[in-house]
Amino acid sequence: MKRRELIKATAGTGAALMFDIVPARALGLQGQPAPSDILNLGHIGIGGRGANHLRPDADVGRMVKAPLGQGGGGVRIMRPARSMALCDVDAKRLDTAATKVGGKPRTYRDFRRLLEDKDVDAVIIASPDHWHALQTIMACQAGKDVYVEKPAGNTIEECRAMVTAADRYGRVVQVGAQGRSQVAAWQAANYIKAGQIGAVRKITCWHYASPIGDWKTPDSAPPEELDYDTWVGPAPWIPYNARHTHGSFRWLIDFGGGQIRDRGAHIMSIASWIMDVDTTGPVSIDAKGEPPHDGMYDSGVTMEVAYEFKNPDFSMVWAQPGEIPPEFPKATYGATYWGDNGHISITYGDGNSTATNQEAVEFSKQCDCGKVFRSPGHNENWEDCIRTREKPIMHMEAGHRVASLCILGNVGFQLQRKLEWDPVNERFINDEEANRLLSRPGRGPWHL
Amino acid sequence: MADDQQFLTDIQSDNADVRFAAWRRAGEVSPAVIPQLGKQAGAGDPGKAKAAREALTTMTHSVGKDPASPNRAAVVKGLLELAGPGSPNPVRVHAIRMLSNIAPEDAAPAVAAWIQTPELAEEVTFCLERMPGNAPIKSLLAAYKNVKDEFKPRILAALGHRRAKEGVSLCVEAMRSPNRDIAVAAVKAFGRIGVKPAAAPKYPDTKGMTEWQRIDQQDSLLRYADAQAREGNAAEAIAVYKSVLSSPEEHWQCAAVIGLAKAGTAEAAALILPKLKSDDPKVRITAQNAWKSMAQTKA
Repeated sequence: MKRRELIKATAGTGAALMFDIVPARALGLQGQPAPSDILNLGHIGIGGRGANHLRPDADVGRMVKAPLGQGGGGVRIMRPARSMALCDVDAKRLDTAATKVGGKPRTYRDFRRLLEDKDVDAVIIASPDHWHALQTIMACQAGKDVYVEKPAGNTIEECRAMVTAADRYGRVVQVGAQGRSQVAAWQAANYIKAGQIGAVRKITCWHYASPIGDWKTPDSAPPEELDYDTWVGPAPWIPYNARHTHGSFRWLIDFGGGQIRDRGAHIMSIASWIMDVDTTGPVSIDAKGEPPHDGMYDSGVTMEVAYEFKNPDFSMVWAQPGEIPPEFPKATYGATYWGDNGHISITYGDGNSTATNQEAVEFSKQCDCGKVFRSPGHNENWEDCIRTREKPIMHMEAGHRVASLCILGNVGFQLQRKLEWDPVNERFINDEEANRLLSRPGRGPWHL
Repeated sequence: MADDQQFLTDIQSDNADVRFAAWRRAGEVSPAVIPQLGKQAGAGDPGKAKAAREALTTMTHSVGKDPASPNRAAVVKGLLELAGPGSPNPVRVHAIRMLSNIAPEDAAPAVAAWIQTPELAEEVTFCLERMPGNAPIKSLLAAYKNVKDEFKPRILAALGHRRAKEGVSLCVEAMRSPNRDIAVAAVKAFGRIGVKPAAAPKYPDTKGMTEWQRIDQQDSLLRYADAQAREGNAAEAIAVYKSVLSSPEEHWQCAAVIGLAKAGTAEAAALILPKLKSDDPKVRITAQNAWKSMAQTKA
C-alpha cells in the first residue's frame, strides 16, 4: 500500500499510526526515497508568535484551515504537518505548548537537542530576535529546513551568515515577513508592476510611535521556570527584568530593535519585493528621531529614516508616526507608493487586515499582467518549496536585505549622522565606527 | 569649556527632558567631563545613571566617524580610565563597550589586561574582537595562555570571528587538547579562519563526541573547504567535499555537491555525476541544480 493511501485509509480513525511519532522517512517504500507526506516540525520558541505555528496532533491527517495572518487567499488548507518537537527556555511555555499540541510531542529545553533529533524534518524559529540568526545557522548545520520569524537577524554580519549557511547546505529558508503572501500585497504588486501608477519614485512608510517605558519594575532574579542565561544567549548581558523579557524585549535595540525592525520588516519586505531590490540595498541612510528620554527602553520612539536607492532610483522613508493616507484613516501602519502617474497604499502587511486601494483590487480581478508570483500562503509556500527545493517567496537573501534596511536605520539613528552605504560590499563608506557596528561578537558559547 | 558646567548641571537635572537635551549635545562638550559622567552612571538614580551612560555614548559617536577626529584620543583616554578598577562594574562594562566602537589598535594591551577580571572577561573579549589591527589579535593570543581552560573556547571563538590567520597555529595545536570543548572550539575557529596550515592538522576523533560537537566539527571542515575554494585551492577543498560525499547525512552530501559545483573542475563534475541519480530527493535535486549551474558557468 502506498504511503498516501495508508494515510487516507487511517485518517480520522484514530489509528495508532497517526498518533505515534513515526519518522517521515520510515513510511517510504522499501528501496525508494521517501519524500515526507507529513512534515515533522520542530518548534524553537513557543511564546506569543511561536504558538501560532503549532499544529495540534489531532489535526494531523485532516484538512486544516490556514491560520489568519499568514497570507494566501480563498479557502486554504494547510499541507500535512505535525508539531513533533517543541523547545523553549521557559518551562511553563513549553508545558502550555505541549498541551495545545496534544499527543506526546518531544520537549526540549536546549534547542541543540531538538536540532539533533533526526526525526525532525524542519524547524520553525520564533524565539526572540537576537536568537534568530544563530539558531537558523545551526539548524542549517543540522540539516533542517527553516522558517524563521522576522526580522532575520540583528546585525548585517549575522544576516549575511544566515544566507551563507542556507546556501552552503542547500536548505530551504523562509523568513516570516509574510506580507508578500498577503492577497492585497499581491494585488498592489500586480497593479504597480503592470505600470498602472508609472515608475515608483518614493515610498513612504508610516507606523505609530514606540512605547516610552519607565522605571517602575526593578531588575530582579529571573523566575524559576526561565533559563535566563540562555534567553540572553549571544546578546550582551543585561540583568533580568520582567519588562524587557517576553514580548517587551522589542524595545531594546540589542534585542528587538524597535518598531523599525519589527513591523518595518513586514512593510519594507513588500516594498523590496515590488521594487525588485531583494539582492541590493540603499546607498544612503539618513535617520533622525528620539529615543525615550527616560525609562529602560532605548529604541526609537519617533523616527524618520530616509533611504536612497540607485538602480532602480527611488527613495523610501520609514516614519514613526508618519502620515496616514486619507483612504485608510484607521490603518495604524503601512506604506504608500508614489509613482509618476498616481499612488496606492498597502496597509499593515503582517495580517489579513492588509488592504490596498480598490483600483488595484479591481484591476487584479481582470488582469494579472504584472506577472507577480502569487503565494498560496506563507507557510504553504515554504512547505511546497521544501518538497521542490526551490527558493520560497521570502528567501534568505531577501530576508537579509530587508532586515538590513531595518538595521541600517537603527545604526543611523544611534549614530545620529547620515551614512553612506555600499550595497555590493555591504560596508559603510568613510565611517569607521559604523563599520564596527556591522557585527556584534557573541556571548559565551554562542558564535556565528 | 564654558558649556561644560551647564552640561554637568543639566545632565543631573531632576527633569528627564532636560537630561535628554543635555545628553544629546554631549558630543560638543569636553572629554574632561567623562570622570563626572562615570560617577553619575554608577549612582543609584536609574534615570540619572541612564542620562550619564547616554552622554558617554553620544561622546563616543561624536568622535567615531573619523579615527583622526580631534577629540578622539581624549575620549578614548577618558573611557580607558573609566574602565579601570576604580569604577563600579556596570560602569566599566559600559566603558568597555564604548571602547569597542572607537578604541584604536594600540589600546589593545590596556584593554586585554582586564581579561583576568572574571566579571569583565566576556566584555574584554567582545572589545578585542571589534578593535581593528593586529594588536588585539596578539592580545588574544597572549591571553589564551593565561586564562582558565573554561574560557579558552571563548578566546578561540574570538580568533575565529576575526578570521585571524595569526591564530591558525594555535588552533592546530589546540585541536589536540584532551579537553574536548577546547579541541572542538579550535576546529571551529580553524574552519572560520579558513587558512591552510603548513602541515595537515590532526582533527579531533569524533568517537566520544556529543552529537552537537560532531555536527560542529563537520560544519567547520565544510567552512574550511569553502574558504579554500574561494582562495583558489580547489584540490584542498575537493578533498574535504569528497570525504563527506558518501556520508549518510543528506545535508552533508548536499553541501559537498554545492561546494564541488562552485569549484567547477572536471574532477568536481565527475564526483557530482553519480549524485544526479541519488535515492535521496534532496541530494538528487541539489545535484541537478548544481549541474545546471556548472553548465551555465561554463557557457
